Amino acid sequence: MIPAVLITAIALALLAGPLGCFVVWRRMAYFGDGLAHSALLGVAISLLIGISNQLGMILIAIVFAVALIWLRTQRLLATDTLLGILAHAALSLGILAMALLGMEDAEVHDYLLGSLDNLSPDSLPLVVLGSGLSLGLLMRLWPGLLLMTTSEELAHAEGVPVRTYEFLLMLLMGIVVAGAVQLVGALLITSLLIIPASTARLFAKSPEVMGVGGSLIACLSMLIGLPIADTLAVPIGPAIVSFSVAIFILTLTAKLAMDWARGKKPAA
Amino acid sequence: MSNSDYLISAKNLCASRQGRMVLDHVSLDLAENDFITLIGPNGAGKSVLLRHLLKLETGQSGSVSHRDGLTIGYVPERFQIDPTLPMPVRRFLSLNNPLTAEAIDALAAETHCEALLERPLAGLSGGELQRVLLARALAASPQVLMLDEPAQNLDVSGQLQFYQLIEEIFENRDLSVLMVSHDLHLVMSSTRRVVCLYHHICCSGAPESVARDPEFISMFGKDMAQMMSVYQHSHNHDHNHDHDHSGEATS
Repeated sequence: MIPAVLITAIALALLAGPLGCFVVWRRMAYFGDGLAHSALLGVAISLLIGISNQLGMILIAIVFAVALIWLRTQRLLATDTLLGILAHAALSLGILAMALLGMEDAEVHDYLLGSLDNLSPDSLPLVVLGSGLSLGLLMRLWPGLLLMTTSEELAHAEGVPVRTYEFLLMLLMGIVVAGAVQLVGALLITSLLIIPASTARLFAKSPEVMGVGGSLIACLSMLIGLPIADTLAVPIGPAIVSFSVAIFILTLTAKLAMDWARGKKPAA
Repeated sequence: MSNSDYLISAKNLCASRQGRMVLDHVSLDLAENDFITLIGPNGAGKSVLLRHLLKLETGQSGSVSHRDGLTIGYVPERFQIDPTLPMPVRRFLSLNNPLTAEAIDALAAETHCEALLERPLAGLSGGELQRVLLARALAASPQVLMLDEPAQNLDVSGQLQFYQLIEEIFENRDLSVLMVSHDLHLVMSSTRRVVCLYHHICCSGAPESVARDPEFISMFGKDMAQMMSVYQHSHNHDHNHDHDHSGEATS
């Protein structure tokens, strides 16, 4: 296991915690899946025009977000239908383009499920830097984003530029996707966002605790999942996600047990 | 922005939704220490008017001007928090809105929310939630308090208590109130002016004169008009001068 890979994974996990909270609160899981699927098209395009993978994926994420926002304002179809169309169009086009560009099945498979083999070490500092900047931006936007998540109308009335914030949130998700596709794989990225945040929700009494808790749980999943996947030579994404699900189930069990014990006590 | 005599001044506001005219040349001025109750049937454009007065939307024609540096506290009609978001009341009050712990306690005392501060927003009852929203609307010491049907989901005693609270706040604070409400009889003692909206302003004026307006009677029926004039009668009888009216709505 290269230390640089672990550091990159930690950086992504720190960002995934609080960002994942918004995915849970704002019900953006399907949007995250759509972004992740469209990332494959981003990989194909970057291969075609010779730019870095990450840049290609972020560009496609922006196109995806703008297309979604625009289509939604047309009020022709429900958001989840639009997402389904956009995501599967991008996924199909991406895989077709990868095939036409002569990419081998094994390589496509790695993009879907994550692998250490096609990680280019040069891109790791870029991912760490991008995650750090994104985390900084998310912390700056945090109060406004929280207010618009609580009530969009109140946020609007109190001067939060709601549409801009919404776009920036989508952009941040695009950045996580671009940073994490090679590690976790396009199929599983959304779970990196929602499982740690959902686990933290079980004990968090404030949005901040949920964000920080999500980060710590995501880090823990990375720190356990990555070395094990490396040692056993199994796909990384499924290994990380399985461990984060295990942490979720343990926390849920503990919470249910505590609630049960509390219920057993005589009323205070 | 302007330095007019009014805090908010709307002139000949026109707006449409899905091709239908919702506001038709509406003009409305809100003065200092004014208390306007905005009434009208469902779909009359009351919420749309509030959104324009807040400058959340701009109409097709006409204008809305705010006095320079105007701050508005707003209690929206719909408020539903996702239960996956853990948000204690104390955190909500200071969200995007830096307040000291003392300021939060004072706000909570004013709006009778002291016992709610550590509770999650998602677990509050309708009446509790409205008081918290009111507290938040007052956090920035606004010159204008705007409320959009704030008591529509409350039971009768909850409505009574909530409107009493609004009247207390109106008396104790230096602010103007603009409220959409159908419960005119409950806010009668504070209401300086009733504005009756049905896309255009049908009638406006002091509550007792509006109750006699034929347009008002045709829109709300004789019962409402009678209820208002009966109330108004006792009001005139008991209190001829502008002294303390608190508690009157319950009598």
